[in-house]
Amino acid sequence: MDDSLADAGLGEAIPPVRPSRLRIISMMVGVSLLALGLVVQLVRVQFGPYAPIFADWAENSAGRLERLVPARGNIYDRDGNLLATNATRYIVEVEVRQLGEQSRHDIAATLAELLDLPFEDLKAQLDTDWISVGQFRMRLTQKDEKGQPWPISIEKPEAEILFALLDDPLGPDLSGLDLVPAPRRVYPAGTLAGHLLGFVNQEGEGFFGVEGFYDEWLAGRPLTIERPIIPTEARVAPDPPAGVNLVLTIDSGIQQAAEIALEEAIDESDSESGQVIVMDPRNGEILAMAAWPALDPNDYDEWLPGAKPSEGEPKDKKGESDEDEDKADDEDDESKKEEDDPVITPAVAGQFEPGSTFKVLTMAAALDAGVVSPLDPFVDTGEIEVGGHTIRNWDGRGWGPVDMIGCLRYSLNVCLAHVAANELGASLFYDYMTAFGIGQITGTDLAGEIPGNLRVPRDPEWTESDLGTNSFGQGVSLSPLQLMAAVSAIANDGFMVQPHVVRQVVGPQGVFAPKTTVLGQPISTDTARLLTEMLAISLEGETSHASLPGYRIAGKTGTAQIAGEYGYDPRWTIASFIGWGPLPNPRFMILVKLDKPESSPWGSVVAAPVFQELAERVVVLLNLPPDPALMPVAGAG
Amino acid sequence: MTARKKQAFRQTPWRVQLRVTSRTVQVTVALLVVAGLYLAVNSRLADAGRQVLVLEDQRETLQRGNSELMAQLAEKTNPERMLERAASLGYKPADPDEIFYLQVEGYVPPPAFVAPRPPTSRLEGVSRLSPAYTETLGEWMTRWLTPD
Repeated sequence: MDDSLADAGLGEAIPPVRPSRLRIISMMVGVSLLALGLVVQLVRVQFGPYAPIFADWAENSAGRLERLVPARGNIYDRDGNLLATNATRYIVEVEVRQLGEQSRHDIAATLAELLDLPFEDLKAQLDTDWISVGQFRMRLTQKDEKGQPWPISIEKPEAEILFALLDDPLGPDLSGLDLVPAPRRVYPAGTLAGHLLGFVNQEGEGFFGVEGFYDEWLAGRPLTIERPIIPTEARVAPDPPAGVNLVLTIDSGIQQAAEIALEEAIDESDSESGQVIVMDPRNGEILAMAAWPALDPNDYDEWLPGAKPSEGEPKDKKGESDEDEDKADDEDDESKKEEDDPVITPAVAGQFEPGSTFKVLTMAAALDAGVVSPLDPFVDTGEIEVGGHTIRNWDGRGWGPVDMIGCLRYSLNVCLAHVAANELGASLFYDYMTAFGIGQITGTDLAGEIPGNLRVPRDPEWTESDLGTNSFGQGVSLSPLQLMAAVSAIANDGFMVQPHVVRQVVGPQGVFAPKTTVLGQPISTDTARLLTEMLAISLEGETSHASLPGYRIAGKTGTAQIAGEYGYDPRWTIASFIGWGPLPNPRFMILVKLDKPESSPWGSVVAAPVFQELAERVVVLLNLPPDPALMPVAGAG
Repeated sequence: MTARKKQAFRQTPWRVQLRVTSRTVQVTVALLVVAGLYLAVNSRLADAGRQVLVLEDQRETLQRGNSELMAQLAEKTNPERMLERAASLGYKPADPDEIFYLQVEGYVPPPAFVAPRPPTSRLEGVSRLSPAYTETLGEWMTRWLTPD
């Protein structure tokens, strides 16, 4: 250092080392190339051939698609008792990337022990290399009896055990296991009105009954949204349009009374199956609809086609199964199995030949057409030939001189065949039956309704003998609810009302109450009242099995043979009773139908007492006081 | 640069370093402030977004729980159980001859049951986050400068 400068306190300035021009240019070129590379890459990403792929990556990484399913609407009875609602089940899923050797074993072992599933099957599913096929999340499955895999779905108690194990640091290694909540339809009242309600499968689709008919309304409208996985992108997800709540016309008290009465009747008569329907004839509201074997919609598997019959399902009648086994080949077995599959909601989906209960429609037609009057005489010889077919009475004997009331009272086939064939004629008879809605659906709000079958003269299969047999309910088939709708015309001053089960539809926008639908007026008000009076008189005279002290009831018994492949089976009948009251302003109409009763084949013996027992409860539950004027008479009787 | 300045810098080269350092620090601080603000806003945004997800999850859990409780209540009060409970308490269905009907003048029967309405659907996601979480600086300035 220079001494003079050092002395002055100033160091000698170090001449700056100027970098070489080459270094500067090299650096500039390097940085420019880098910048150019970035620009080129930017252009390539934005506009190059890979642009769509990059855009797709960006799109996919923004979120995941999620299907939002709204809660299915609840179903209530008319008093607000909950009949169907939703609970939670859990689907067992696995996040594959979180699995380790230990967790694979522990998950399989835990689930196998908790759910009684084969360990090897679960372990094999967990050991599969899902990542190589691009799957990072999978549902564990279990196989059914046919070897079909189904996702494992567990209930809350099992889920709570697994949640506790997942939270337990000392528990098994369940890393990767996830329980995904999913809705489950529950029916808190069990079998109560099970046939009427129908059921909902695991995919949330409604079948049969109310669940089937109102499926779209109850289910709401699911939405598919993109759920962002980046928290900064998170927004409140939209709510999908919710399903409506339904209030049924069903009265749980009457429904329960009907089910108890039916079950007792099935036991006492040793019948194969049966149905009871209670309806308000003024407006078509179904107050109860019971069927046996009972259906628990919580456990509908055994009702699926081809399922094995379990306890409570229709019994094989003696001798029938052996005989069939001898006759039938494999193909027949298959078709028989289909025929034997129990019918769900038989009130609308099952058809039967009504037998003598149909006679009220024949008599209604004849009275309305003016071809007979209640006291018109008829000499019953015990048989009549219509279209070359000889018709006999139920007991095979002639009842001598009777009037039209007697014809109904003693349920004389010969008399009604005479009325239809000789008084009414085919044209008028079938016009009236069509007006009564026979062979047509009623349009009720239950899924699976069938129209029944009525051959009319313009059908090529129709013969004149059909007129004779149809007059007393043979050779014509209809559903129990169809019969109720038709007979409602007689109970309701000639106006036929549409049966229905929904009283209110409650949606987000408000309450909608369906109005009574009149299906038509097949007979005049005078005819309806006259026939009701005739039936009340005939009932009072015929049997006391259906009478109710303090109340006037009109009704008709029915005993129908069952048509088979080789004609009518002499062994079995369908015993029924249809009645309404209290007269003169009926508030209820009851149909009792018992299939193949063993204790007695007659409707008056096995079905009428069920009507009486149920009507006794119904008048109490509907707050219908007895008529004091009728009490002493009833007491004396 | 004047000769005088050159002379000064030559005599005190640390002043050059000081100037460079101070400018670098200024830029760095400015960048840090911007980065800090950005981080703060984004962390609050992420937290809010996370809360949205958590609250939605809680709402679903509560709705499921409510539904479960409704089902349990209905199951415990279904007609079959009530009949069993009534029987166990010594009650039985009244026979018609045990019932005495009394007409009460002016009695108004209770109104018919009306089911609760299902929730109104919200088809579009409603963002409840403040615009401060979502808008850009440019948008914020535009909003700030634009008179209402």
